[in-house]
Amino acid sequence: MKSATNNAVNEVTLESRTEQVKQFALGAGANVVGVADPRAWEEYAPEGHRPNDILSGARSVVVVGSRGPTAGAWRSPNHRLMEVNGYDFRNDAAIHRVADVIESEYGHQAIQAPGLPTGGHLPPMSMMLSAVLAGLGTRSLAANIILNPKYGLLYYSACITTLELEFDHMLEQDVCPHQMCVQTFRRFGKTPCMAACPAEEGGCLDGSIDEQGRIESSFYDRERCVSRAMNFGINSFQKALAQIVAEEDQEAQKNMIHSDFFSRSCSAITHYKESVAQCFECMRVCPIGRAERKLK
Amino acid sequence: MKSPKKHDFDETDFARAKAEIGGIAKQSGALVWGVAAADAFDDAPEGRRPFDLLPKAEGVLVVGGAQPRAGDWQSPNYQHMEVTTTSDRIHGLALKLARVVEDRYGYYAVCVPPGVDHGQQPFMSIAMAADLAGCGSKSLAGPVLHPEYGFMYFGAIVTTMPLPADSPPGTPACPAPECVEMYSAEGLTPCTRVCPIESGGCLGGRIEGGRIVERQYDQARCATRVQNYWVPGFQKVLGETLREKDSEKQKMMLYSSMFSRTLWSMTYSNVSQGQCAECMRVCPLGRAHRTRQ
Repeated sequence: MKSATNNAVNEVTLESRTEQVKQFALGAGANVVGVADPRAWEEYAPEGHRPNDILSGARSVVVVGSRGPTAGAWRSPNHRLMEVNGYDFRNDAAIHRVADVIESEYGHQAIQAPGLPTGGHLPPMSMMLSAVLAGLGTRSLAANIILNPKYGLLYYSACITTLELEFDHMLEQDVCPHQMCVQTFRRFGKTPCMAACPAEEGGCLDGSIDEQGRIESSFYDRERCVSRAMNFGINSFQKALAQIVAEEDQEAQKNMIHSDFFSRSCSAITHYKESVAQCFECMRVCPIGRAERKLK
Repeated sequence: MKSPKKHDFDETDFARAKAEIGGIAKQSGALVWGVAAADAFDDAPEGRRPFDLLPKAEGVLVVGGAQPRAGDWQSPNYQHMEVTTTSDRIHGLALKLARVVEDRYGYYAVCVPPGVDHGQQPFMSIAMAADLAGCGSKSLAGPVLHPEYGFMYFGAIVTTMPLPADSPPGTPACPAPECVEMYSAEGLTPCTRVCPIESGGCLGGRIEGGRIVERQYDQARCATRVQNYWVPGFQKVLGETLREKDSEKQKMMLYSSMFSRTLWSMTYSNVSQGQCAECMRVCPLGRAHRTRQ
């Protein structure tokens, strides 16, 4: 595989090399894959959060998207099941394999782009922006989630590499709002996602659609959403721990430590990957990708 | 983008589909697999049955494997088993098969989460599913045991696909003939001797006519031994640490080996889900697969 193969693969055209990498990503578990130009970040991301800030000499960013919950999980009446099965990290596994093959087969540097917060609550590199720049989706009215035209909700990971690949373009057509949502907005003043979680009634979402059927404005109450979507996870663990430490009554403290709530908060941060999120309602009503969730 | 292939199946195709899924399961690392009928979970409490997880469920596909390797059982460092044997691999395989059922055959599939729901109760008993799918049978030691491989981990997928159901094994794997013989002579089996309930252990029971007629398992006591370093261990040590009034002692407790290990065991490092496998170590079922040169 090593040097001989490297010479062979270096001789292939940019187009076929890009296709090879994409096919490998799809075989590794990705549902969609695209390639973005690292220079495109300069227009959208602040300094320190661009591909070249993370890997010097970056020439391409490969972005993969994978489905989260199965169609069956969306149908389960036990909402806890989605909390646990909502995310299987397949996109991370796929992008690691992509990075491996770029280094071993093409002899170029490749790293997984860091998408989780390392300081404050900001990630070093936005996976949402990566997906948009790689032409995999566009921002939506539903919590700014990047929706793919075929699958709707996807989870994204990216690989920054010094390998030169052919770039994809950003989607010209907005994925959100769906035609059905434009119609419901014109009739009721709300899209399905806004109706499921209306900001003016204690929910998280609001917005408007212009005459051309495009998003005119959008409002997303992130803090409120976090308090609903992440009841069990690092946030709840920190919250519960603060209350436990402050409790002066030893018996009450013991009860709090062994409570169902704290146990579930602990489980949520374990390797069981429980409860990454506990609210999917804006996505449940989204028509984009519904065909993929409709089975027998 | 890949498009899932959704076929329309007629009745006669389901047996073939079942064989195909089984082939994928085995190719992906499963040792055993089977299907339990969704309406066979009569003994499960309401809320914990297949229909409660997926409306119109027809069956529960069960896969088993990812058991400790022969070398793992031989390691003199008992902590090695704590770190390397978990249900992660079989759960990953179950997730993969759920995708296969949906993408290839067009039926709904839900992977049963391996963790616990409210009140420390499982979402659905995967052990019961394994038993009903013919992948093994309940044992005196607790786990569902396969007649050839003995102890293994199981994953389960609830699906609307009407796959032909298997049946529980006619003859339970446990007690093995050696254990029946030993019980006749000593009144104990290997597992009940290694952890006798009447001497501070967790296991007991009676065998009559070569079958288990009574089983005693102290789950709470077992948890205090098997899960010293995991969520229960963390909760225990957290309480003790917070009660310590001496700040220097408290600091030592926070940085202690015990506290560090409980934190490691809770993270993605897959450390220390279980710290006792002694009842399985002495079990004759699957011994051939735990034995190498």
